Amino acid sequence: MEFVDNLAIGFGVAMTPANLGFAFLGAMVGTLIGVLPGIGPIATIAMLLPLTFHLEPLSGLIMLAGIFYGAQYGGSTTAILVNLPGETSSVMTCLDGHQMARQGRAGAALAVAALASFFAGCIATALIAAFAPPLAKIGQSFGAPEYFSLMLLGLVAAVVLAHGSIVKAVAMIVLGLLVGLVGTDGNTGGTRFTFDIRELTDGIDVATLAIGLFGVGEVISNLARPEEQRSVIAEKITRLWPTGDDVRRSWRAVLRGTALGSILGVLPGGGATLSSFAAYALEKKMSREPQRFGRGAVEGVAAPESANNAGAQTSFIPMLTLGIPGNAVMALMIGALTIHGIQPGPQIMSERPQLFWGMVASMWIGNLMLVIINLPLIGIWVQLLKVPYRFLYLAILLFCAIGVYTVNNSSAAVLLAAFFGVVGFVLMRLDCEPAPMILGFVLGPLMEENLRRAMKIASGDPMIFVQRPISLGLLIAAALLLLVVALPAIRGKREEVFQG
Amino acid sequence: MSDAGQPTAKPSGWDILARADVLSGLLFIAIAAFGLWASRHYPVGTALRMGTGYMPRLLCWVLLGLGLIVLAQGLRQPAPPLRSSALAWRAMLSVTLGLVAFGLCIERLGLVLSILLLTGIGAQATRSLRPLETAVAALALIALSWGVFIAGLGLTIPVWPDW
Repeated sequence: MEFVDNLAIGFGVAMTPANLGFAFLGAMVGTLIGVLPGIGPIATIAMLLPLTFHLEPLSGLIMLAGIFYGAQYGGSTTAILVNLPGETSSVMTCLDGHQMARQGRAGAALAVAALASFFAGCIATALIAAFAPPLAKIGQSFGAPEYFSLMLLGLVAAVVLAHGSIVKAVAMIVLGLLVGLVGTDGNTGGTRFTFDIRELTDGIDVATLAIGLFGVGEVISNLARPEEQRSVIAEKITRLWPTGDDVRRSWRAVLRGTALGSILGVLPGGGATLSSFAAYALEKKMSREPQRFGRGAVEGVAAPESANNAGAQTSFIPMLTLGIPGNAVMALMIGALTIHGIQPGPQIMSERPQLFWGMVASMWIGNLMLVIINLPLIGIWVQLLKVPYRFLYLAILLFCAIGVYTVNNSSAAVLLAAFFGVVGFVLMRLDCEPAPMILGFVLGPLMEENLRRAMKIASGDPMIFVQRPISLGLLIAAALLLLVVALPAIRGKREEVFQG
Repeated sequence: MSDAGQPTAKPSGWDILARADVLSGLLFIAIAAFGLWASRHYPVGTALRMGTGYMPRLLCWVLLGLGLIVLAQGLRQPAPPLRSSALAWRAMLSVTLGLVAFGLCIERLGLVLSILLLTGIGAQATRSLRPLETAVAALALIALSWGVFIAGLGLTIPVWPDW
């Protein structure tokens, strides 16, 4: 059995004391930033990116991945106890989770959230293990035209699945593509948008952009609001165990949430947040008593929590198999790989089986650790929630500054991050979601490169994109998606999903 | 957000201008116009032999078009105007200045003084932070980052001023 052998390799490397330690560290940090509103996984991963330079590639990836899915666990704690989403992906958990807590059932809500996440995490990890190898095999037959068409499909999907206005999402992607152009053009050697600033000739680093937009930008956004009164429901956590009735009501919701999250996670622009919104909407629609939702329905906690963890997990599939990031976190993961000189792509699985299978094995281990971190240790996180934001933001700012400085080894990068911080704040204020910008920023240069290569292969004939069957199929899929989203009926549905 | 769309009186010109969509449309148009101006001397080339300016100019034109659409939508759909607040300006200024000070000083003055500057300036972002709290925070952050980055990870960041 090749599959068992592969998993054995994976567990072999993931179970070394060092890697277990990094999985634990990632899970802890992920829970921490998940619990704390005002700092998310994108900013955290960007800040810690420079540290992974000093680690083995696998250890670094294990830690960063742990932060991402750990944040999905931690986010639900804040949603349930404070009625504030610790992460955007736990917005939907607030609705019913907090109601449960107010009815004195905080313990049950926390347990359902953690166990639903754990179940979803296990299934999604198994899906990665099962589907990644065949996908990578397909990926190996891809040439430049296929890659270009695939990335185009990815960008289209990211737009369709983005929050809020579609036109604004497209504009944000274009803005990201433009920022990605800054620097020296690899083909002509000419400089673009560098304004004779020496530090810009090598282009802008993805970590600098992400730390600015998300880390600094969110700090400014949070400070610009009057500090909210957090009332933590803490006294009432007595029973950390769901009742039989809870289990009976929620197991179907968990299954549906896991399935939906696993599918949406693979799609570019998908991932955790979209999955939780869609799962909540689906569950409300499927329920025979939809009026219970919003009043402490346990399904309303189980569905989005399983979906966001499944989505977070399966969003690794396109990154690990094709080297294409589906969301901003995956874009940073690619950054972490390239720091070590590893070219992400379908060859990773055959050339570095330890890296791939080690990651997969660590996800199982990490999810198991997270259940323990989040349930018996819940008291610690409740204490943490009482720390006011004014003590946290200075530390966040400092880690942003040191992170940017060390990843680039340049003080100019810190100034650039400050600039992008203001940009991020202004964009958030104007209801422009900055996440698609990162996607455009990362995919832009890749697309341009593959476009040029495809043109070279076809000696300048653009028909190459429709003559190759896989490429044609991907382009048709992209066109269909665009068409579908333009239909008024679907557009209404889409808005419905996002409004929950 | 959908419940905000019931104008009772006719909104004034400034209120229309301060809608999120109107402002974002104008922002996109301004960025595109700036990009087109900045890339005016870049060689464009053809689709087959793209010059340095081909992609930038193409994207700027696309952004210009998108900005116009967003602007038009914003003018049509009623929405509550955004208000600038003293809190927001204060936060934006002190956070930015704190980071700029850190960036300019880290290489010459070292980590310790740079952290003092960052926390000192950054603490002005909120009125709720008392001077003593800021001082304690600065010291704790110095100890923490020295422990993690210098002692723990051995990063080559200057700690003290380079005389």
